[in-house]
Amino acid sequence: MTSHSRRIASMTAVLAAGALALAGCAKGGGGGAPQGGAGATSQKPLENKAVSAISVGTAADSTGPAPEVPGAKSGGTVYMIDRDDFSHLDPGRVYLNYNSSVSKLFTRTLTAYKHDDSGNIKLVGDLATDTGTTTDGGKTWKFTLKDGLKWQDGSPITSGDIKYSFERLFADFITEGPDYAETWLVPDPKKPFRDQYKGPYDGKELDTIETPDDKTVVFRLNDVHPDFNFTVAMTGYGAVPKAHDTKQKYDKQPFSSGPYKIVSHITDKSLDLERNEHWDPKTDPIRHAYPDKFHMEFGIQVQQSTERFMADAGNDKQAFTFHNAVAPERTQEVLNDPELMKRSLRGLTPFTTFYNINTKRITDVNVRKAIITAWPSKQIQQLQGGEVSIGKIATTVMSPTVLGYEAFDLYGKLAKPEGDPEAAKALLAKSGNPNPTVVYAYNQTPTQEKVTVAIKEALTKAGFKVVAKPLNAGTYYDAIGPVDNKYDVYWGGWAADWPTGSTAIQPQYDGRLIADNAPNYTHLNVPEINDAIDKANAITDAAEAGKAWAAIDRQIMDQAAIVPEFYQTYFGLYGSGLGGVKFDPIEGEQSALDIYVK
Amino acid sequence: MTSYLVRRVAGALVILIIISAITFYLFYAVPRDPARAFCGKICPPETLALIRHNLGMDEPLFVQYWHWLVGIFAGREFVQFGSCPAPCLGYSFATQEPVFSAIVDRFPVTLSLTLGASVVILAFGILTGMIAAWKVGQPLDKIASSSSVIGASLQIYFVGPLLAFYLVDTMQLIPRPSYVPITENPLDWFTHLMLPWVVLSIIFTANYTRMTRSQMVEQLAEDYVRTARAKGMSSRTVFFRFAWRGAMIPIITIFGVDLATLLGGAIITEQTFSLHGIGELAVRAVQNTDLPMLLGVTIVGAAAIVLLNIVVDVLYAFIDPRVRLS
Amino acid sequence: MTTVSWSGEQGTSRGPGPFLSVRDLSVEFSTEDGIVHAVDGLSFDLEKGTTLGIVGESGSGKSVTNLAILGLHDPAHTKIGGEIWLEDQELISADRGTMERLRGNRVAMIFQDPLTALSPFHTIGRQIGEVYRKHKGASKKEARDRAVEMLRRVGIPQPETRVDHYPHEFSGGMRQRAMIAMALVCDPDLLIADEPTTALDVTVQAQILDLLKELQQQFGTAIILITHDLGVVAGTADNVLVMYAGRAAERGTVREVLREPRHPYTWGLLSSMPRLNSSVDVPLKPVRGTPPSLLNPPSGCPFHPRCDYSKLAGPELCFNQRPSISPETGHGDACYLTLDQKREIRTAKTEDRA
Repeated sequence: MTSHSRRIASMTAVLAAGALALAGCAKGGGGGAPQGGAGATSQKPLENKAVSAISVGTAADSTGPAPEVPGAKSGGTVYMIDRDDFSHLDPGRVYLNYNSSVSKLFTRTLTAYKHDDSGNIKLVGDLATDTGTTTDGGKTWKFTLKDGLKWQDGSPITSGDIKYSFERLFADFITEGPDYAETWLVPDPKKPFRDQYKGPYDGKELDTIETPDDKTVVFRLNDVHPDFNFTVAMTGYGAVPKAHDTKQKYDKQPFSSGPYKIVSHITDKSLDLERNEHWDPKTDPIRHAYPDKFHMEFGIQVQQSTERFMADAGNDKQAFTFHNAVAPERTQEVLNDPELMKRSLRGLTPFTTFYNINTKRITDVNVRKAIITAWPSKQIQQLQGGEVSIGKIATTVMSPTVLGYEAFDLYGKLAKPEGDPEAAKALLAKSGNPNPTVVYAYNQTPTQEKVTVAIKEALTKAGFKVVAKPLNAGTYYDAIGPVDNKYDVYWGGWAADWPTGSTAIQPQYDGRLIADNAPNYTHLNVPEINDAIDKANAITDAAEAGKAWAAIDRQIMDQAAIVPEFYQTYFGLYGSGLGGVKFDPIEGEQSALDIYVK
Repeated sequence: MTSYLVRRVAGALVILIIISAITFYLFYAVPRDPARAFCGKICPPETLALIRHNLGMDEPLFVQYWHWLVGIFAGREFVQFGSCPAPCLGYSFATQEPVFSAIVDRFPVTLSLTLGASVVILAFGILTGMIAAWKVGQPLDKIASSSSVIGASLQIYFVGPLLAFYLVDTMQLIPRPSYVPITENPLDWFTHLMLPWVVLSIIFTANYTRMTRSQMVEQLAEDYVRTARAKGMSSRTVFFRFAWRGAMIPIITIFGVDLATLLGGAIITEQTFSLHGIGELAVRAVQNTDLPMLLGVTIVGAAAIVLLNIVVDVLYAFIDPRVRLS
Repeated sequence: MTTVSWSGEQGTSRGPGPFLSVRDLSVEFSTEDGIVHAVDGLSFDLEKGTTLGIVGESGSGKSVTNLAILGLHDPAHTKIGGEIWLEDQELISADRGTMERLRGNRVAMIFQDPLTALSPFHTIGRQIGEVYRKHKGASKKEARDRAVEMLRRVGIPQPETRVDHYPHEFSGGMRQRAMIAMALVCDPDLLIADEPTTALDVTVQAQILDLLKELQQQFGTAIILITHDLGVVAGTADNVLVMYAGRAAERGTVREVLREPRHPYTWGLLSSMPRLNSSVDVPLKPVRGTPPSLLNPPSGCPFHPRCDYSKLAGPELCFNQRPSISPETGHGDACYLTLDQKREIRTAKTEDRA
């Protein structure tokens, strides 16, 4: 159940992840907890370095077909087993990673990520011929659609469809998806976007999106957004045909622009896909579509899916899972079995967890630094099943999956992961208050009770007085949401919506965005950081911007606004009859795009 | 009889309305905002307000309940989900499907599971109990009695995966449990549900073995059974026609009570075998704090139990002529 | 007029003899506490068409004796000794099938409480009819007609309707009538009535006893009437057997036993019975003490702990040696007192009561 923690992206996901990751870890925290260290030593450890080089590809990179996977062949049925059905398939309502992963099979976006064998990730044009062009530093974006793009009924995908796909996001029932583009496409980004445009259902168009011809879409944003081409890679901005928009019902049965179409979708039971004959591989740089069919089955708990993958019987040989990880109690067994490890996938996800330090209450930076220094990261990791099950000890804000990530460790957490009470005492001495009180709020679950004991012990050793406040899992975020909450330290999680610093950092650490229930739970408001964010946001060169975001990351850590906890890891299995099953670091789970039946 | 049924059903409706009102209040009074679940990661207050309005949750609780109640008979319209034809129990917050159709969809699974298990429980439990009673004190009695103790102490979530591992994965004797509609293929329906039936019935069967045995032994000591023997009825007739009738009355009473527990067992069994039944729906609704689904499942579950109790009472009257339905 | 004869001879070969002959019957139950000697060395005969009243307190073995005749005891826990002859058929050694064919057919039984003794789940008609079907091989229709006929004969009004009713829809007296109808449906040679009137109102009691007498005259059935009430015996039976602690205490014709009771226990029973001709202010005197434990019966005469006259018979006799019934035929009793002693004591008691 730790896999829930990787269900990244939306606020609700964070909510759910918070509750469930903690609940789920109760299993790992019990007697049968796999000892992370022991198992991990036999394996090559995941390193705290950028997992992949992320770059922006060229028009040539954007041309289809996708390079062949060696040894792959077409045909057959691929099975997918997972705990949960996809909660949304209407692109406008998709935010969670597992919804995105499946959507890639039938929903295409203007841009997308292309993975190569050496782990490099390139942003390329999917529907668009390239990753978009801007002539004014990122305020006006122009995309040209490829030739031969068709919907599942054979009708062409036009620029009008793309414009419509963005317009319908303003409708009152589409509330679950991202709202970056909506906010940027209305005249005033400070006012609610729905007050400025109500969507296309009453016949009105959004005039900031222009379609000079059937192939060209021009977006006129209200401000500079140099990584807008990353934004539109989100499934949330995928294509929806005006002629086949069934509004609320579209969520269960979207119309395909990709290599597969939905044959049947029985909520919470199954999803069946078969080939969309109108999809042309020559237009697609990232999708292979080797299998003829996908049969996806839901309601399989992680314990069951783990056992089924281990047994590898019948159709399960041709099965993979998007999301289900190896059950924590089985981790050790899998790690020790070389045959199983051959069909396992491990990787770092974009999901990071951390402990917010309320900078409004703990104003002395040395006290905050002392908290980080004294923090028992190692113990917490072990209580939750170790590195394989929960994640690597983090030392930065950004995850290694973000463009520009730089590894640094300001507080020696990797050298002394169990906490350094002496160094912390020294920091407290500098602050002039050797025994500050820390109010620690936590989710009251069995595992978190144990974690809290470890935290209390470590901080007390450094001289802190710790007051632990248990919170109800269901209302955890409501309790820590208010700006004037009465807690000093509380857990949180985040994942970037696209792998650049702007979504990894800005929503959480831009001091101008502090509001009740807003993601800035540390209430950090440092003018230099705010300025640096603005500057980084304006850099058009992705690599340069990456460097700027890494510098901001360092600034935030210098402010000691959070105790980074984990870069969460994924560890999953698939059946022996499949090839081309890969780990997708953008979504943090298994990818279906290169899969073939052996 | 008819007027009895009308009165019982009317009473049941009143009970259900009371249960639903209380449940509605309890569920919807939780200090948690389901609107959050429909909001993106960065959730501005105006979007949250819009969602609350879309869900009809911006009104006082009793108005919401009234809408819910009316929706059952007249249907409803939700901005967030679209139309919801009668009988409308709302839309699931988690899966965005109509609660009623989700339940109807899954009903055959749970029904197959519980009915099948009931048959196994009653047939097998009563049979072994009768054998034990027939052969009181003999080895067969001892085997039946002691295996019933063992059976009662086994747990679904222990036996289920164990049997599945050996019978399905290792020996591949029976297919992996799943639900095949009986209308589609009765044989597959049967073979795919065999294991869940057995697993769900194990703990109950044992109870019924014990109960049947003791009830039979008790009945065999009754005066009217002695009379039957004094009339020259054969032991078999005495056993099956006379004592059995009397023994069944307490068994049926207890079975009526056990139905609720059986539904509980069905929940665990569905979880154990990934069967997509009402139980799974309920568990997921709890996990997701999916209020409309939770409420729907509660009401349907309560309705089922109330209804089955009426059935049991009517059954009573058929078995025991002393009971009058009035 | 038939007398109960007490024959000392025992054997397996029998010529023409009494209709029912019980020889040296013993019944033992094994219980958790030990072995209960419910009946011990009991012998009696019964002729066709006569009524034998068996009288005794509860636990005296009178019901057990009759269950043994029908073989209704629990075979797993019961040991039976002696012989029971029904004409030329020995019943103790008979197999199950034989006994099943016999029960309800040649020998029928009615019980004390007709409410619990009738199956609550089946109609009266069916319960009567199934006996007829079982033993006479009758069809359903014939069985039903027979049931209606039997109900009419036992005096149940509207038998055509009542035949489809359940026992709980009958009154107590009606139920016992139905029970009798059920017992007599196959014209049995022997009817065992175990306290048939105890659970009924006094007025109904008389009706039922009259009915039994009347039916006996019609069918010529031999009846064993088990009761604790000598009053019932007085009006109904030809012969009486008084039982105490699983043994016969006294036997004889009704006249003999009631007029000239010989056993001190019989005196006790009689003095606890109200008489029409005795004055109302004379208190009834029940037998003092409690019935003996059959797990561990008293040595000697089983009645001696409750007997006022045990000293009269000699210093040790009553305490050490078990008296057997004498004389062997006719009016006999199991007591060491001489006939003269008995007569004297009885005369004194009668004067006392008058």
